Parts: sequence; C-alpha cells; structure tokens
Amino acid sequence: MTVWTPTDDGHADLTSHDTFIQGAPHNTFKRLRDEDPVHWTPYPSGEDFWSITRHADIMEMNRNTAVFSSARGIRMEDQSHEEYLARRTFQETDAPEHMKTRIKVAKAFSKPVIAQFEEDIRVLCDEILDEALAEESFDATKSIARELPMRMLGRILGLPDKDLPWLVEKGDALIANTDPDFTDHVLDKLETDEFRMMPFNSPAGAELYVYAKELMADKEAAGDTEGVLHMILQPDKDGNTITEEEFRNFFCLLVAAGNDTTRYSIAAGMQAMCHQPELLGQMQSEDIWATAPDEIIRWATPALYFRRTLAQDFEAHGKTMREGDKVLFWWSSGNRDEAAFDDPFRVNLAREPNRHVSFGQGGPHVCLGMWLARLEVRVLFQELAKRIAHIEADGPHEFLRSNFVGGIKKLPVRIKRA
Amino acid sequence: MKVTWKLPDGSEISADVAEGTNMMEAAVANNVPNVIGECGGNLACATCHVYVDDAWAGKTGEQDDFEDAMLDATEAPREDRSRLSCQIVASDGLDGLVLIVPEA
Repeated sequence: MTVWTPTDDGHADLTSHDTFIQGAPHNTFKRLRDEDPVHWTPYPSGEDFWSITRHADIMEMNRNTAVFSSARGIRMEDQSHEEYLARRTFQETDAPEHMKTRIKVAKAFSKPVIAQFEEDIRVLCDEILDEALAEESFDATKSIARELPMRMLGRILGLPDKDLPWLVEKGDALIANTDPDFTDHVLDKLETDEFRMMPFNSPAGAELYVYAKELMADKEAAGDTEGVLHMILQPDKDGNTITEEEFRNFFCLLVAAGNDTTRYSIAAGMQAMCHQPELLGQMQSEDIWATAPDEIIRWATPALYFRRTLAQDFEAHGKTMREGDKVLFWWSSGNRDEAAFDDPFRVNLAREPNRHVSFGQGGPHVCLGMWLARLEVRVLFQELAKRIAHIEADGPHEFLRSNFVGGIKKLPVRIKRA
Repeated sequence: MKVTWKLPDGSEISADVAEGTNMMEAAVANNVPNVIGECGGNLACATCHVYVDDAWAGKTGEQDDFEDAMLDATEAPREDRSRLSCQIVASDGLDGLVLIVPEA
C-alpha cells in the first residue's frame, strides 16, 4: 500500500499556495522530471523562474555556488535590494560571508555536541507522549509533533519554559505566513507593505526582535554567557561583530527553522505509520535507527524548495539559464526521483544509501540543525513505538497552505496503547 | 595519483584519483564509509574528516581559517593530523597518499 497518492493533474501551478493544500503536486514534479527537467515556470505575482526537479541536477547545481548564488534571496517571491538587506540572514549570503557567520555556531550544532542532548530529548518525549497518549484519538501534529521541537530549541537557546508557547505561536506566524490558520497577516492576501522590512514580512518578526533584545539584555545583566545566542554576538578573529539587524534576523531564523521543520518531519512519519502498518513493527523489533530518521525526513521534505539566482549564464538539458534568472531547487521533487530512490513513494526505514536532499545536502547551506533534527526524530519515534500497539488514521489529514513549507498541519489519529 | 584509505576495521580501500579531484569526492565515489561530505565540499559540515597518515604530515597543504574552525565540529576527536578531506586536492605530489578514516 502506498502511503499517499498525489492527486494533481500533472500541470499544477507551482507558484500557488493553494496547490499545496492537497500536498506537494508530485504528478507535476514527475512530469517535469521526465519531460522538462529545467522548466521555465510562469509566476503571475513576480518574475518567472526555472524549476529544477531531478535529484542529480539539484546535487550538481547546489554545490556550484559560483553560478547559483544565495545572495539575492532564497524564496520564490521577489524582493527589492532594500528588503533583501533588511531581512537577510546568513542563508542569504555566499562564501566567504556565509562562513564567517556559520563558523560561530557550527560547533554548537555539531553532531557530538548535539548528541549530548539525547537524554534531555528523551525526557521531553516522555512528558509529551505521556500526555498525548492519555487520549485514544487526537491530532498528532498538535499534541506531539508541535510540542517537541520548540521545547528543545528553548533548551539549546536557554529560553525560559514559560515563553515557549508564545514562541511556537510566533514561529508559526513567521513561516506559515501564507496559511490563515497560523497568521492574521496572510502574505499573498493582505496588504503587508508595512511589514516588508521585517523578517518573513511578518509583524511576528518585529515582536520576536523585541523579545530577543530583552532576552539578551536580561542574560547580560545576569552574567549568563551560555548558549548559541551569546556565541553569535561574539566578535570574529578580525574583531567584526554582527549588526543588530543581523542578530534579529538570526534569532527569527532559529525560531522559525527550529519550530516547524522537525514538527512536520514527525507529523509525516506518524502519517506514514498510519498507512504502512508494518512500520510500527519494524520500529519495535528491527535495528533500523541508523537509517530511519533520514527516511522519515526524506518522506517529509518540510522545506519544499530553496531558490538561487544565476550569477552567470548556465546551460543544462538544452536550456540556457541567464545571469539574473531565479532558479528553484525543488527538494520535494528530488526526494521522489525514481532515478535516485527505489520505490520513492514508499517509506523504507532501512533505506541505505539515502541521498535525500531535505537538508539541502551537497551545498554550503546544508541545514545547520540537521543533527538535532535527526536526533529528535529518532528519539521521538523510539519512544512512541515503545508505547503503542497500533496507530491508524482517524479521518483525513490536512496540509499547510504554503508552496514553501510542506507540512501536515492536522493529523487525526487513533491509537491503542501497548 | 593513488590514494589509500585505512578504515576503522583494519581494511583498506585504494583508488586512482584524477588530478584536481578532492579527497571527499574521491572517497564518496569509492564508497569509503564515514566520509560523507554533506555540504558538497564547501566547509560547512565537517563530515569528511580524516586523519592524514604520519608519513604525509605537512604535505597535504595549509588549512585556512574556515577549515580550522570547522575541525572543531567533527564527530571524531580533532588531532594535529586532522583535515577535512574536501580541502585536500589530488596532485602528482600526493601520489601514494594515505588517509585514516575515523570511527563513526
């Protein structure tokens, strides 16, 4: 049984947020991979762009930063240079600027440092699952997937527990800024001009900025130099520090990225368990934990795409992409490419090798939090599998309205406790 | 040029590597375990960490500041002979190079 069958007609509008309410349009991606892998995509509300859909092409182009630049934006939407400067993070820079910021926090997010959080994560999972599994039927995104990532980010950043629900809400408003369930300021439906200079065009960005400033002032007053936020404020070896604006944007990035990507990986994994009943048994009895987290994260692909901009002309598959053109690497399509994955629409917890691109692997902007995401996913599913004897869908699931974040925002499940 | 990777289990993998190829790409192409290269050789992940065999110490080129910083983020402990293998590029002078792959 396949886990989920795409329903698009093969010609979906990739620029429409509404397209993605039905899940990613995988029939369209397959057609593009087969027929037009470097696809000029009309974009009614901005500059048209190239869509790259084959895994091999994504891998080749993502590493070629001399041609495919991040320094002119990473989203489909166009922004003025002024907006770009106001809103950019190190995601929106190229080497060497990108690395100057990244090396300040690379160790804090490295595999061995993150591995030290395993017990903390297990304790959090215990709490979350004990509460959620008290019910037999519940929304798994809300009760389980939404809870773990932000509580964990709070630990890493040294945020007070009482602030975490507020941060979840703001993080949702930032990144799900095209879904009316998560924001009153739906990006493509309201006049959001006054928020143009704010992170993610969102008033939540402004509130988070004030929060981050006050938090750091409190920490400084208390002599607290623990954590990632302190690290990022330290001067580099040439004495350069990041600006206040860059700090604000970095904080918003952590809140947004730490909030919903792992959430939607967990949700997608639980959805897969509902539709491939053998997965629970494998989790309970087979040694799949070295490979399972990456397969769940491949299946989820929470970041549907990232954009680059051509710094020079480039030819591929008979098409000439011109300097200045926008290019989207559709990770979502790459992760279902039959040329890279056997039976890509099945979750195979033992998949090996698994060269998925959910983290933007193969390029310099590979996800900073990937070790944390893998660890959270592993521990959550290990603990879940110990506690339940059965899980099934309890009604249809709902996807987020976003062409950027692929996620199941509502996942009704019914469980039997072990 | 010829490169040999010594693996944690005591076995070895040897391969001919074309000039200009970096040792992360070469390792991935030859299925050397534990050399992953998640960032494509852009000094952003530290997953291609290797130890350079003592006989080749000081011969694999200089570390820049970014490599130096990223070597603090490796999974296996950093040693004086640690390098990110994406920063070692095949050349005639390195023919016979021996790299030691850390335990995962």
